[in-house]
Amino acid sequence: MSGSKPDILWSPHQPDRFVICDSELGLYRIGPVGSAETKAGTLPLSEESAATLLAINSDTPYMKCVAWYPKHEPECLLAVGQANGRVVLTSLGQSHNSSCKDLVGKEFVPKHARQCNTLAWNPVDSNLLAAGLDKHRADFSVLIWDISSKYSPEASVAAEKIRLSSVDLDSSTVVTKPLYELGQNDACLSLCWLLRDPKLLLAGMHRNLAIFDLRNTSQKTFVNTKAIQGVTVDPHFHDRVASFFEGQVAIWDLRKFEKPVLTLTEQPKPLTKVAWCPTRTGLLATLTRDSNIIRLYDMQHTPTPIGDETEPTIIERSVHPCESQIGSFAWHPSSQNRMVVVSAANRAMTDFTVFERISLAWSTTTSLMWACGRHLYDCVEEGAEGVESMIEKDIATKMRQRAQSRYGHDTIQVWRNHVLAGGNDPQLKSLWHDLFYMKQCAEDMELKLQGNKQSVVYSGIKNIVKTSSGTTESRRCWSGSDRQTDVPRYHSEERCLALRLCGWISRGPEIDMEAFLRSLEQEREWERAAAVALFNLDIRRAIQILNKGATAEKGDLNLNVVAMALSGYTDEKSSLWREMCSSLRLQLKNPYLCVMFAFLTSEPGAYDGVLYESSVAVRDRVAFACMFLNDAQLPRYIDKLTNDMKEAGNLEGMLLTGLTKDGVDLMESYVNRTGDVQTASFCMLKGSPGEVLKDPRVQCWIENYRNLLDAWRFWHKRAEFDIHRGKLDPTSKPLAQVFVSCNFCGKSISYSCSAMPHQGRGFSQYGVSGSPTKSKVTSCPGCRKPLPRCALCLMNMGTPVSNCPGTGKSDEKVDLTRENKLAQFNNWFTWCHNCRHGGHAGHMLSWFRDHTECPVSACTCKCMQLDTTGNLVPSDSS
Amino acid sequence: MFVARSIAADHKDLIHDVSYDFHGRRMATCSSDQSVKVWDKTENGEWHCTASWKTHSGSVWRVTWAHPEFGQVLASCSFDRTAAVWEEIVGESNDKQRGLSHWIKRTTLVDSRTSVTDVKFAPKHMGLMLTTCSADGVVRIYEAPDVMNLSQWSLQHEISCKLSCSCISWNPSSSRAHPPMFAVGSDDNNVSCGGKVQIYEYNENTRKYSKAETLMTVTDAVHDIAFAPNLGRSFHVLAIATKDVRIFKLVPMRKESTSTGPTMFEVQIVAQFDNHNSQVWRVSWNITSTLLASSGDDGCVRLWKANYMDNWKCTGILKGDGSPLTGLSGQPTAMSTMMGSSVQTSQNAINGMSAGRIGKRAPFAPPLRQLTSPKTYQHPAHY
Repeated sequence: MSGSKPDILWSPHQPDRFVICDSELGLYRIGPVGSAETKAGTLPLSEESAATLLAINSDTPYMKCVAWYPKHEPECLLAVGQANGRVVLTSLGQSHNSSCKDLVGKEFVPKHARQCNTLAWNPVDSNLLAAGLDKHRADFSVLIWDISSKYSPEASVAAEKIRLSSVDLDSSTVVTKPLYELGQNDACLSLCWLLRDPKLLLAGMHRNLAIFDLRNTSQKTFVNTKAIQGVTVDPHFHDRVASFFEGQVAIWDLRKFEKPVLTLTEQPKPLTKVAWCPTRTGLLATLTRDSNIIRLYDMQHTPTPIGDETEPTIIERSVHPCESQIGSFAWHPSSQNRMVVVSAANRAMTDFTVFERISLAWSTTTSLMWACGRHLYDCVEEGAEGVESMIEKDIATKMRQRAQSRYGHDTIQVWRNHVLAGGNDPQLKSLWHDLFYMKQCAEDMELKLQGNKQSVVYSGIKNIVKTSSGTTESRRCWSGSDRQTDVPRYHSEERCLALRLCGWISRGPEIDMEAFLRSLEQEREWERAAAVALFNLDIRRAIQILNKGATAEKGDLNLNVVAMALSGYTDEKSSLWREMCSSLRLQLKNPYLCVMFAFLTSEPGAYDGVLYESSVAVRDRVAFACMFLNDAQLPRYIDKLTNDMKEAGNLEGMLLTGLTKDGVDLMESYVNRTGDVQTASFCMLKGSPGEVLKDPRVQCWIENYRNLLDAWRFWHKRAEFDIHRGKLDPTSKPLAQVFVSCNFCGKSISYSCSAMPHQGRGFSQYGVSGSPTKSKVTSCPGCRKPLPRCALCLMNMGTPVSNCPGTGKSDEKVDLTRENKLAQFNNWFTWCHNCRHGGHAGHMLSWFRDHTECPVSACTCKCMQLDTTGNLVPSDSS
Repeated sequence: MFVARSIAADHKDLIHDVSYDFHGRRMATCSSDQSVKVWDKTENGEWHCTASWKTHSGSVWRVTWAHPEFGQVLASCSFDRTAAVWEEIVGESNDKQRGLSHWIKRTTLVDSRTSVTDVKFAPKHMGLMLTTCSADGVVRIYEAPDVMNLSQWSLQHEISCKLSCSCISWNPSSSRAHPPMFAVGSDDNNVSCGGKVQIYEYNENTRKYSKAETLMTVTDAVHDIAFAPNLGRSFHVLAIATKDVRIFKLVPMRKESTSTGPTMFEVQIVAQFDNHNSQVWRVSWNITSTLLASSGDDGCVRLWKANYMDNWKCTGILKGDGSPLTGLSGQPTAMSTMMGSSVQTSQNAINGMSAGRIGKRAPFAPPLRQLTSPKTYQHPAHY
């Protein structure tokens, strides 16, 4: 270790202390950053922790290596190996106990001066300190010193002196005779004591790894290898050792020491440090020179020399603890996966924790679970607030909420479904209004024609205008303006229907928009109302609306100004008004105001400014087109718009496509974009029973939606949906899956089962006893033999259930209808598929509320527990 | 806003996988301590461990649930070269009352010669099928012909992928238009070995799985792969955890009815994020495939969400220990979310301009203009 390159050592026993050594020793204490002692000298290590310098020791120059005394007492005793081969014991801080005083300052001097490369304290016999030295002729390179040797009480006084001037030699504190001398005629570069036997010392010698046994120093086990640097034993697996050479790490198994069990991928730069993680098995950290990353090798498995040659699975990772180049690092001895990293250049320290690989999973209800290390974290979405609420809620959450608010189930006031969906999605609003108008028109048609015009209504405006015939052209006066205009307007029965579907006019032959205008005014959609009035060629009404709007919106100047501008309308081609309007209209922020002037300033038949203003609702543009485009232009425009809508998956386009194949295409791109199968399913179930439902895509959406409801345990909602679907698509009704047949004749008794509730309804109440028809249902309709008995009440099935104990008669009277419904279900047959015992559903349910075993004596079947899904509670209320 | 809370897992070593059941009421975890634990959620949302047992003689890599219509069935796979199928049974004692359940091993699948790295059940509509992949590059598909007898599994297909497999994912689409398909990822480090994600498709005529696609652009080791829940979409979305998070879209080309070969796909990369700044370890989709969660070696969990334009952005970051990312480091949570929204708008602008499709795109860009405040209509208002 050169003077400039720092190293770190954690205190073996105090979890908050570490030493940094470069040219001097600095003792630091690590603590939370917010603690009271945030003094000036505190160095931030991370967001949470900071280090305080406690002591500095610069007594020992030419430091080459440092080792911390492994025992509790004395606390802060360090051995320092110097460039001249001497090993000095020194201390940091104010440990004044006697044993420490005796030791501090002691020096161990080899016979020949040469660099001390490494120091290792025996973890068990802590008096033994091994030092590895460079080669000097035939001298020994591994010296094991006994720190308690040659200790004389009088030396303690002298030791104090030595602390101040360590160069000074005092025979009483200097030890020159090592306990053991090993590794003759060789150099030692790294050392470590083996944890499985504290008498064994592993040394990285010049060209081999050697194991010395202190009980028999003349012998050694060795293997020739280049990987002799940084030998270190895995603290969790005492036979596993890592060492390195240049850029390559070798992993050894001491039980088969002949060759490395594993070599890790070579790094381009030489390694400087390799360390096993003390808190986790099989995690090795390596550092190369001039690098800001620490590479981690996660050895998931202990290699087994017995049996086959299975290599451990290694997951390589790299972490970037800090931006600058790393000088050294040290694992914290007890904190999980934590290390302190010191930078090479400026001694900046970083407190860093290596996170374990996180595995994660989403639940069906949008909560996230992840596992980090040995811990689990459950992460749930809290009620949207703050910034998060600005970002839209996820569609999964939306669909769940909508399912609970019965979205899609309003079949009368179809438009209300968008309110059920939350009422803040313009596309859904448009969609449900479209479907509402379609339904209205379809109903009218039926009344009027009794023909099968229904399909026409649901086929969308695109198809309606295609069939348009007998279009008449009319030129109408501007009402409120005395000028005769040359604006042609087109009429036909189909166009009229289209306008109705757009919601501009209500039923009746007259094109009367007054009702529509008034409702728009009520909605405070002033600009839109004005535009509609203007398109109806009623300029006075438009101005009136704008004025009204201006007053209502507390003098909205904009509206007044627009009203003023409108009143100046002139149809002279080259007037200043026209010129100004066509240029200034583009600056109007409201698209409706903008299209009003576009309409006024454009030539008849060339209304691109209105038709392609994408901020104007599709229904308004389509209605406009139906009034002002001729038979050639109209289909072309509608086709183009339809294709745009289809491509974008914009639900507003449903007006054009209707519930046709085109509509399914449009919905497909909507689903592709949003995943909202709920809207798709309900929408497709609104039209006439027909072809669209047979489209495999529609079936797929419906299946996916039902699957979602199942996953959310919205089983009641799923059932409601199935009923709703069955009304329109009778083929979707499931076939009966269970048939009850008579024990005696084998015929199905489903007839009596299905008849039972109906018959029951015919009689006033179940209380009527001795009713002739009633007794019949207790027997098989085929052979008149009695049905099996309920295991609990021992009555033949088919008899009505008497009230369960606990329900008072007063309740019964209050809630007659409900009781009645329940009673019908209570009468049902139910039985265990395993033991075949059963009875009235009501009786069985109440039995299993308190019991796990079957009610039939000597039957130990745990009927209810067999069905694990049956134990789940639906999460929606019926 | 996502808030995390810690659960005492009590595993003795690293947890490798977490898996929810179909309803999200049960959870299974597996660990290097060779055990699997099953957790049940109480009505008040607490998780309780109801079973814990030793499953393998090595690290358990993955655990997965079968659809509940097959019963309460789990499958696990391990370094010990086996995969196992477990079923919960109703115990003789009153275990249920004590909040404990009993699981027994129905079968051990011993075909692999190396570590079994992933195990997945096929989508429900295919029946009870189980797929494993192993480090020697073999994908095996097993089927239980009789769903009432889980001790019998027959090896139906054995597909060699040539590269060491690390993860597998079934395409969950149940549409008849999409033949059964799965993707397998390889953790092979050698970039020169080519694409690390292979997609296999079932061919009705040959009754075999054949390779439909290799994602040649993914050349680094793949750690996890996940098909998004299809939800009736006409294309497939695949998330890949490699050195970054990647999202691919596979659009099946309309194929002529006469052709019998595998479906051709138009492969588009939808998003690529290196925000983890290191290897990405896992990816997971929510039920509607609108949210993606990823975890990386930076110790963070990130959430991704797409807007209507299919622009994906980060909507949340949490540290692995559940604490929000705060203070001095790179991207604090609040900032990231705000960044997200600003990115969104700017991307909108970019999209609108560069694509030159303002007319098509704009209708949803500023929805507020044509919107009135949401009121409750009490009459069928004209619209």
